[in-house]
Amino acid sequence: MLLSRKTLMNVSVAAAMMGATLGSSVAMAQDAQLRGNVRVVIGSTSTGGDTYQNASIVVDRLAEHLGVNMKVDAVGASSAFRTLDRDSRGNTLMIFHDQSYLGHLYGVQGYDDIFEKYTIGPTIAINPGNAYLVPMDSPYQSLDDIIEAVGSGETVRVAIQPGGVSEIGFSALKNAIAIEHPGQEDNLVAVNTGSQSDKNQQLFDGQADVINGSVQANEQYTRLPESDQKAMRFVWLTARQDTIEQAPEEGLGQTTRDQLLEYVEPNVTVTMGDDENFTFDKEFFFLYNKEMDQGIVDQIDEALEAIYAEGDIQEAQLSAFFIPDFKPSQEASDYLQEKMSRYQEIIDNIN
Amino acid sequence: MEFLSVLDVSFFLLVGFGTLVGIIFGAIPGMTATMAVAVCLPLTYALGLNNGLALLLGLYVGGISGGMVPAVLLNIPGTPSSITTTFDGYPMARRGEGEKALRICVIASVIGGLISAAVLFLFAPLLADFSIKFSYVEKFLIILLALSVIASLSNSMLIGIFSGVIGIWLSLIGDYSISDGGNGHTRLMFDFMEPYLFEGFSLLPVLIGIFGISTILLEAEKGVKRDVAGERVKIGASGRFSLSTFKGSLTNLTRSSFIGTFVGMLPGVGGSAASVLAYTQEKNLAKDSSQMGKGAPQGLIASESANNALTGGALIPLLSLGIPGDATTAVLIGAFTLQGIQVGPLFIPENHETWYIMMTALVLANFVMFVLMFFAIKHIAKVVMVPKHILYPLIVMMCVVGAYAINYGIMFDVWTLLIFGVLGYLIQKIGLEVAPLIIGFILGSQAEVYFVKSLESFGTYSIFFTKSPIALVLWALIAASVLFAIAMGFKSRARQKMELSQMHTPSNTTAGKRHDSTNG
Repeated sequence: MLLSRKTLMNVSVAAAMMGATLGSSVAMAQDAQLRGNVRVVIGSTSTGGDTYQNASIVVDRLAEHLGVNMKVDAVGASSAFRTLDRDSRGNTLMIFHDQSYLGHLYGVQGYDDIFEKYTIGPTIAINPGNAYLVPMDSPYQSLDDIIEAVGSGETVRVAIQPGGVSEIGFSALKNAIAIEHPGQEDNLVAVNTGSQSDKNQQLFDGQADVINGSVQANEQYTRLPESDQKAMRFVWLTARQDTIEQAPEEGLGQTTRDQLLEYVEPNVTVTMGDDENFTFDKEFFFLYNKEMDQGIVDQIDEALEAIYAEGDIQEAQLSAFFIPDFKPSQEASDYLQEKMSRYQEIIDNIN
Repeated sequence: MEFLSVLDVSFFLLVGFGTLVGIIFGAIPGMTATMAVAVCLPLTYALGLNNGLALLLGLYVGGISGGMVPAVLLNIPGTPSSITTTFDGYPMARRGEGEKALRICVIASVIGGLISAAVLFLFAPLLADFSIKFSYVEKFLIILLALSVIASLSNSMLIGIFSGVIGIWLSLIGDYSISDGGNGHTRLMFDFMEPYLFEGFSLLPVLIGIFGISTILLEAEKGVKRDVAGERVKIGASGRFSLSTFKGSLTNLTRSSFIGTFVGMLPGVGGSAASVLAYTQEKNLAKDSSQMGKGAPQGLIASESANNALTGGALIPLLSLGIPGDATTAVLIGAFTLQGIQVGPLFIPENHETWYIMMTALVLANFVMFVLMFFAIKHIAKVVMVPKHILYPLIVMMCVVGAYAINYGIMFDVWTLLIFGVLGYLIQKIGLEVAPLIIGFILGSQAEVYFVKSLESFGTYSIFFTKSPIALVLWALIAASVLFAIAMGFKSRARQKMELSQMHTPSNTTAGKRHDSTNG
């Protein structure tokens, strides 16, 4: 059967168009890159906090490296998740920390399973400062004293912000008491508060015996004279020993790294059972919309790899008392998922 | 004075520039000092700490002060802390005394700012120690004291209290945030509203809507013709400003400045409570406060000196405890952390130079604000001369942009603005009162958090009376405020009755005469 010239022409034009379309979509898939203005939302509303500080250090360098306009916006967790949900083009990225999955483990409204709902991006740094403190004149000299006191039936009140990073150390402590002194763990009582200022205030008012705080926010309080109502002492840093060992030798303020090491394992231990001790490093990482193109995920991984290879960023992070911690997306996702399952065990044990 | 050697021309220029930009931010409805500081925060990387602080403190002082302009001229509080400025400022502007009102505001502002800077400089560590005596219980009582203004502010006490309760109810919509130590669960809404109202209604869109948009709707109702021929011509002609306005206001000025400083230094109590408290106290303690709310300079003095005094007050806990006193200083703390400087109880002893530089910038910013605004007022006040059919659409557009920007691009904030604009209009039509409602809205959620936390911490209701001598003093103030409101209510009712009977008698006579003559 002979085909008319017109039909042939139509078919060839259609084929050429299809080819062009296919070709361009292949090219687009290969070329999916960050472009235009990129907004990096963070899970905190504070511009004075560690999330903003960490995000700024990384985003500034990333923007410079990629030649893209990027801005960090401190919008808070629920707004940040919602903003990320809406944008699959890659113009909105998110940076947050372990709170993003701990919130889900503690059943806080507005926190979904990040491993299901989002793509996990690279980790960027650790804040080694998560700490527990007592008043300077507290009868408890160490965390062991607190565990023993609770084990012997004494009520000890711990001021925390519920549902996340602030609570996980409390949960671990409660779990350790349940293991070492079964049935006594309910003597460790959480006092639910909000900001660091509220937690400090609970200590000043005598409404809490122990508070969750941080090296950054509370170090100066530990250097006040004992006669000062505001004076405090560290009893526990939840970070791993390796993590603190990577901090600058001069530590923070006038508290040296060696002094900080007195408050981590093996000097202070919180058992998880089976000869395993609890530690918690507060890690910061990227979160992406699940539909975002893999090309952008790879692009950011590669860019950060290059930035971390240069070495300047580590200096900036260390001088701000953060521990550099770059893991590319896939590795970060596996690592964080494993980390979450460990903490899930603790939370399940005490509930 | 060694620190002076590190200051250069750029430091002074940045203070001036920061103050100017701050004033502009403050004057645009929906833009705030906090936003101005947040936008410029990354610049501190490039500028260094000293110059960065110069810029940010200029923005802070300018931003707080700029709020007076739309509050007086347009009945829109430019910042939440200028809400009480609208109560007397707008009635004055309507009487053609806008320029005078603004000049009063500027002078009150600069005095409030300087008094608080002096208090900060001289007593910061001492006051920080005092501020930690205020636990949840005392903070709840302070909010309650500020709420008691509802009773004395209303034309009819019952309607006022009812409006206030509606305001409190609206403020409780949303989640009981885990960042306040709550459970993170939402309440007072249907499930489908959660994506929009998870964090409740945003403060600023509500404020601008209920004041600004509703005023515009009420004005629009009057039509264009009356406007052109009407009020706009009166600017400056009547009610010229003279310093004698401040005669007899020294107590008010000092008291309000100290209240502003004091509230500023209590973390978490918030800026709007400062001006509301100062306003309440002037209303309760002044010899004659009958004109307050109708265009009395004393109301402006109380409100503006208190809200500018916040600046120094809020820096007290920031620099002496490492805890920001208000939303703007919470952003300001970022300037320190970005530079790797710890703020805490040892900040001042360990960073003398930075401390003196901050004080210089703060004082300078107050003077720059004064000079810029005092002499620009003549021109700024001319805004009211723009025909309203041109001015109001522009304002609505600015409000919409501001509302959209306030939480970094949330469209629901624009809907909030419009919903509350219509609500504000309806509220006034059915005779409810806007001021108590909005005060209830601003203070309601804080009152709830501190009330619940007090009970959680101490486990008994009696703690509100037995916690400390400070609590007792606050109860006495609350009782005095309520009793005063009741007494004032009776007095004004008696006066109204008398006026009514006086009006009634002659009119009866006239009518009688007319009746007689008709008969005759």
